[in-house]
Amino acid sequence: MEGMREYKCPCCGGGIGFDSRIQKLKCPFCDTEFDMETLADYDRELMDDRPDDMSWDTDSGEGWQDGELGELRSYVCNSCGGELVCDENTAATSCPFCGNPVVMTGRLSGMWRPDCVIPFKLDRKAAEGILKKHYEGKRLLPKMFKNENHIREVKGVYVPFWLFDVKADVNMRYRATKFRSWTRGKYDYTETSYYGVSRGGTIEFERVPVDGSVKMPDDLMESLEPYDFSKAVDFQTAYLAGYLADKYDVDAKESVPRANERIRKSAKEAFAATVKGYATVTEEAGSIQLNNGTVRYALFPVWLLNTSWNGQNYLFAVNGQTGKMAGDLPLDKAAYKRWLFGLTGIIGTVLFAALYVLWLL
Amino acid sequence: MKRRLFGVFFGMVLSVLLAFPGLAANGLPRVVDWGDLLSDGDEADLAATLDEISERQQVDIVVVTVDSLEGQSAMAYADDFYDYNEYGFGEERDGILFLISMGDRAWHISTSGYGITAVTDAGLEYMSEAFVDDLSGGDYLAAFTTFAEMCDDYITQARLGEPYDVDHLPQEPFDPLWTFIISLGIGFLAALIVTGIMKGELKTVGSQARADDYVKRGSMNLTKTNDLYLYSHIDRRERKEEEPRDSGGSNTHTSSSGRTHGGGGGTF
Repeated sequence: MEGMREYKCPCCGGGIGFDSRIQKLKCPFCDTEFDMETLADYDRELMDDRPDDMSWDTDSGEGWQDGELGELRSYVCNSCGGELVCDENTAATSCPFCGNPVVMTGRLSGMWRPDCVIPFKLDRKAAEGILKKHYEGKRLLPKMFKNENHIREVKGVYVPFWLFDVKADVNMRYRATKFRSWTRGKYDYTETSYYGVSRGGTIEFERVPVDGSVKMPDDLMESLEPYDFSKAVDFQTAYLAGYLADKYDVDAKESVPRANERIRKSAKEAFAATVKGYATVTEEAGSIQLNNGTVRYALFPVWLLNTSWNGQNYLFAVNGQTGKMAGDLPLDKAAYKRWLFGLTGIIGTVLFAALYVLWLL
Repeated sequence: MKRRLFGVFFGMVLSVLLAFPGLAANGLPRVVDWGDLLSDGDEADLAATLDEISERQQVDIVVVTVDSLEGQSAMAYADDFYDYNEYGFGEERDGILFLISMGDRAWHISTSGYGITAVTDAGLEYMSEAFVDDLSGGDYLAAFTTFAEMCDDYITQARLGEPYDVDHLPQEPFDPLWTFIISLGIGFLAALIVTGIMKGELKTVGSQARADDYVKRGSMNLTKTNDLYLYSHIDRRERKEEEPRDSGGSNTHTSSSGRTHGGGGGTF
C-alpha cells in the first residue's frame, strides 16, 4: 500500500477510498462524495495544525540608580500583609486596602525598579467628587456609604502592573456553511455547503496590562482600564511624593497566564472576523505562537477607598488618570425587600385597575 | 293553487295570532320533548322562556329532543324538522332550532333566515362550548336555558349590525380573583426587573476578557486565506399547505325541502 494515502472524511471523520465508478472519492460511512483535489488540499490544512506556544521572556527591569533606594521607605500592613512604598517625606499611616494601621519596616529592598509610571492626573478633590457621584441615586445602598467623612479617606496609590508586548503568529481553521433553498413542486429544498476555511497571519499587542498586586482584585483593576499610555514617563522617585506605591507581590511569570488569555481571545476574534460570507462559522483548530515577547514593569495611578460594612471589606477604585470608577457596592437587603414588595403592590394594583377598565370598554 | 291560497290565508291568521304566547309561528309548541328529558314543570318554564324571547325578537327559538334520528344525520333531521313543521318568522323563516338525540348522543343547531345571520359558525362554536358540558352532565334544562339566553344575546347583537363572529366573540365575564392574581404576578415580575436594574447599578466590576484595546494599530497582517469547498448536502421537505384563514360568517347548505340552513352540531 505504499504511495497510497488514506484520507479522513471531512464530513464524518471516517477513512475514505477511491470509487472508480464515479471517479471521485466516496466516504463508505456517510456516502458523501469529494474531489480528489479537495481532499488533498484539506489534508494539507490539517497538517498545519500546531499546538500553542505562548512563552515569554520575563526577565525585565533595570537596576536602581545611586541614592534612589535611600529616598524610599517601606511599610507593611500587619493585617493584610500589604507592602507599601513611599518617599521619605510621605508618612503612611493606614493601609489603603484594608484600613488597618501600617508600620515602617525601614529601607526598601527586593523590588525591581519600575520601568515607567503614569503620574496622577486626577487630584484628591476630583476623586472624592467621583465617588460621591457614584453613591448618589443608588436606593439600595446602605446609608453609611454616602457619609462624606468617610469618602475623605480615599488614598492615592500607585498599583504595580506588568505590561506585555508581543507579536503573535496566528493560524486558524474553521468549518463554515452556506445555505441555499428553493422550491420545486410540493417540496422545499435546502442545500447546505460545507467549507474548510483557514486564516493565518500576525498581530501585535502593546502593553497588555496585568496587575501585580494580590490585594488588588484583577477584575477591579481591569474595570478601570484603559489607561492612556502615551502619558507614561520614565520612573523617578519624585513621582511617589504624596502617594503610596504598592510593592508587587505577583511576579511577571505568574501574570503570564492572564495576559495570554486576553491576547489569545483578541487574536482569535480578530482573525475570525475576516471569515465572511458564510451562514455559520465554527472554529475547528487554531494555534497562536508568540514571538519576541517582552514584559515591562509599570506603576499606574489609582485612588482607593476601602469601606467595611457588616464585617465585609469593600474596595472602590478610581482610575487616577481618566476618572473611571469601579467597585461593587453592597446591597441593603431591607431596602431591597421594601422596593420589591412595594413595587409589586403598586404595579399589580394599577394593572388590575387597568384590566378592569379595559374590560368595561 | 288552493293550497297556496290557504297558506297565504293561514299566514295572515297567524300574524294575528302572534301575540298569543305558547305557540310558534306555525302553531306548534317551541319545546318538543319526545326524548322526555324534562319534567313537565321544567318544560313549561323553558317553553315560557323560549316564547318570550321568540316573540320579542321575532325569531323562533325551538328546542327538540328525540330518542333516535331514525337513520338520518342530525343535520338533516334538524333541518327537516324545522322545514316540515314550518317554524320561522317572516318570509325568510327566521329561527334557530336546537335538536338533541339521546340515542346518538348528538346535538345539532339548525339556523334559518335571520338565524343564519345572527349565529355565525364561530358564534355557534362559542355557544356550544357553553352548553356541551351541561349536556354531557345530564343537566338538560341548564343547557337549553343557556342556549336560549345566548340566542337572545346573539340576535340582539346582530340587530346592532355586528353579529358575533371570528374576531368579535361575546365578552367573557370579569373574574376578579384571577385578574388580581395575574396582575400581582405580572407586578412581581416587573418589580423584579426594576429592582434587578437597581441592583445592577451597584455592580461596576467586570473582567476584561479581551485585549482589543492593546492591539497595535494596523499591525494585523493576514498572510493566509484559504476557503475550500468540501461537500454539500441537500434536504428535501414536503411543503405544508397553509390553511385558509377563517373569514367568519356562516356556511350554509340546502335541506331536502330546498330551503337554506346554517348551523352545526356535535356529540356530547
